[in-house]
Amino acid sequence: MRGPISKSLLFIVLLLTTQISIAAQVWQKPSGNYKFDCGRPGGSLILYATSDPKSFNPIVAKETSTTQITSYLFEGLTRVDPRTLKVIPNLAKSWQNQDGRRWIFHLRKDVYWSDGHKFTAGDVTFTFNNIIYNPKIPTGTRDIFTIEGKKIKIKAVDDYTVEFILPSVFSPFLRALSQDILPRHKYLSLVSKDKFTFSMGLDSKPEDIVGTGPFRLKKYLAGERVVLERNPYYWKKDACGNNFPYLDEIIFIILPNPETALLKFLEGELDYYSLRPQDLAILGPRKNKDFTIYNAGIAFGSNFLVFNENPAINPRTKKHYVEPYKLRWFRDKRFRKAVSFAVNRRKIIEIVMNGLGVPQYSPLSPANTLFYSDNVIKYLYDPAKAKDILYSLGFRDADSDGVLEDKHGNKLEINLFTNANSPERITIAVLIKEDLGSLGFKVNFMPLDFNNLVTKLTATFDWEAVIIGLTGGIEPYFGKNVWSYKGDLHAWNPTKKALDDYELKIDDIFNKSAKTLDMAKRKELFNEWQYIVSDNLPFIYTVQGYSIYAVRNRFGNLFPTVYGGAFSEIERVYVLDKAKK
Amino acid sequence: MIIYALKRLGYSIPLLLGVTFMTFLFIHIAPGDFLSELKSNPQVSRQAIKLYEEKFHLNEPLLNQYLIWLKNILKGDLGYSFSYKAEVKNVIASRAKNTIILSLSAIVFTWIFVIPLGIIASLHKNKFIDRFISLFSYLGISSPSFLLAMVFLYFAYISGLLPLGGMRSLRFYELSALGKILDIAKHLVIPTIALSFASIASLQRIMRANMLEVLGSAYILAAKARGISNTRILYVHALKNALNPMITIFGYQFSSLLSGAALTEIIVGWPGLGQVALEAVRKQDLYLVMGSVIISGVLLIAGNLIADILLAFSDPRIRY
Repeated sequence: MRGPISKSLLFIVLLLTTQISIAAQVWQKPSGNYKFDCGRPGGSLILYATSDPKSFNPIVAKETSTTQITSYLFEGLTRVDPRTLKVIPNLAKSWQNQDGRRWIFHLRKDVYWSDGHKFTAGDVTFTFNNIIYNPKIPTGTRDIFTIEGKKIKIKAVDDYTVEFILPSVFSPFLRALSQDILPRHKYLSLVSKDKFTFSMGLDSKPEDIVGTGPFRLKKYLAGERVVLERNPYYWKKDACGNNFPYLDEIIFIILPNPETALLKFLEGELDYYSLRPQDLAILGPRKNKDFTIYNAGIAFGSNFLVFNENPAINPRTKKHYVEPYKLRWFRDKRFRKAVSFAVNRRKIIEIVMNGLGVPQYSPLSPANTLFYSDNVIKYLYDPAKAKDILYSLGFRDADSDGVLEDKHGNKLEINLFTNANSPERITIAVLIKEDLGSLGFKVNFMPLDFNNLVTKLTATFDWEAVIIGLTGGIEPYFGKNVWSYKGDLHAWNPTKKALDDYELKIDDIFNKSAKTLDMAKRKELFNEWQYIVSDNLPFIYTVQGYSIYAVRNRFGNLFPTVYGGAFSEIERVYVLDKAKK
Repeated sequence: MIIYALKRLGYSIPLLLGVTFMTFLFIHIAPGDFLSELKSNPQVSRQAIKLYEEKFHLNEPLLNQYLIWLKNILKGDLGYSFSYKAEVKNVIASRAKNTIILSLSAIVFTWIFVIPLGIIASLHKNKFIDRFISLFSYLGISSPSFLLAMVFLYFAYISGLLPLGGMRSLRFYELSALGKILDIAKHLVIPTIALSFASIASLQRIMRANMLEVLGSAYILAAKARGISNTRILYVHALKNALNPMITIFGYQFSSLLSGAALTEIIVGWPGLGQVALEAVRKQDLYLVMGSVIISGVLLIAGNLIADILLAFSDPRIRY
């Protein structure tokens, strides 16, 4: 049954994604010359969101639907420069540190909250001591600021100086400090009444959502739109001495269906559209465009194939999580290499991404210009080589039924899962199934509900092979939960015991990286990690696409980046004079 | 009659208990829970997940959770939505009104067409007009509403006559009261037609069959023999009886007031409950699912009750 279904699926995909040969001309790379003009105030920017925010609480709610709104409302002591990806000052104008443990931050004195109150050191200590470290508030943020099980000691030295004493040297610290800061005067009483977790919800009055960001909440209509307005107290000024931001309003229209968003963009109602690969065929060839398509570069994030190497016995069923004979295949690095050689990544790029992608071999995306290393083992498509490796491992098709058997006569049959809500991953899975099928694998592919898949990966461990992805950030250390064998998301081996020496080595690298402040040395460590992963293939990476945005030609100071999106420095974006409505 | 209605309401209590418990059970049996997404986030520790479990009472035994929920329901408290971190009552209330506007509009639009089309088709049985209406029926029954919505949106884009989805235009709050009504009406056109198309198509077939059955019955022949005018036979004697089964169907439609439009809502970006309920089921946002289930259940029971009462008025054979 499964065979024909996946075949027809592939056929449909092929029909829908006709190759675009003109692709190179329809988009442009964002200008490399980052010169910002002094803009003019006024006008609005109309964006869309695929679902409602879940809350306006930046500590408790972390879904993209929420953070894409809250990132305009709140700011941290530091921020990430969207072009260089380096950490730069923000609410803190400078800092000192001698031994990597004691940090002194000097706050800006010209910052006001969006309700007109002054921003001081008390707000910083409140955010950390009363909210993030508050055991009654459930938040993943606490884990980022918990170093080897200990808290950071945070103290206000005076109104504009904050002291952080770390339990030990922690090099990702400055980057973590882009953490949003919340106003003490507004939320202290909610925190002390233990009501903070359920506060700042969607039914809040706009004046109850207070941040230091360039915009503040104006109106929220459930299921329809979120309207943000200029924060009149915003502290940043342009080179000509005018106040940022320039835009009066940002409107997010909530459109769950991307086709409807595309129509609305074409009609002119939306100023922005984030392109899926198939949209380029529609938007690219249009004549007299009043919009520009930007290709900001390779995106963050990844899709990879992982085999279950868990040797443990299920305490409930008293059986192995993975059949011992299959475990022997999966645990063999040469077997995983054969699979990697068998994956035709070019074909995946043509079919899934319309030719707009690159093969991936490192756990990091090339978008991560600070840490990405090209010095990894690359598995160029080579089915003959894959076949040779399988042959040398003893796989033969003894009964000539088209499916290989191992030395002991077990058929090379694998169950492959991925999450059903990602059409991209389903197509990748179908293509990999075909690639492996032509080598003599029998792959049973089944898309599963996302929650079901996560339960299998993290709790019940009843899976053999999975295609899944991780959203990537800049700091590799924050992936420690995945890469350290002690981590909770060490998917291929959840036993918390290292099965291979390379797992010990990776754990060591991650620990060292947190203690090393020197950027060049950290980069070396993570280069080694990337090489080890590409050599041992606990994850067999597939392909990475580009970030492509279409933006109407009415805005100045537009420098789309992969990290910051189409409107990287939102406070600088302004409506061009002739385009004013 | 009042005693009958009260009895019916009494019977509906075990029904609601059954429906809600089954829903509760199924959400628990389904693999994973609301926290699965958090569990897949590398930056969230097991301790943080535990704290969430405690806050949401996800670590208690199933029956306890259900009983706590039931106790709160009786106090009028539908619980908290995990993902919105707000009271289910408020999440549903913010959306339900919009869905009801759309569903009512679709129901009215449907019935405006169903009865006349059914009568016309039955009076011109097997003639061109009947065949034409049949053709339209087959088309309507076989095209899903979300597909129609997409097609209509595309036509709206080409013609520029109607808004492309949503419920209110951006300038809504600057409009006069009349302007506001017209604005919503304009946005209603596409989803209303898309939602009604299939039900008009199938219900007018039922209406046609009812009419044909009644017109062929002995008492109509008797009426004709007595020399009663055709118009009178048709609109007074035949129609009233042909309508009886339709009243029951009308009652059933009430149950779909809040849940029948989900896919269409998503396509046209209508800010209704369907979207929220669907996402809640997918993410296993337990109490939000329970909230929408109990409201749909109540509407189903109320719809059936209304239909039965209406039937008693229209059909003298039925007495409670």
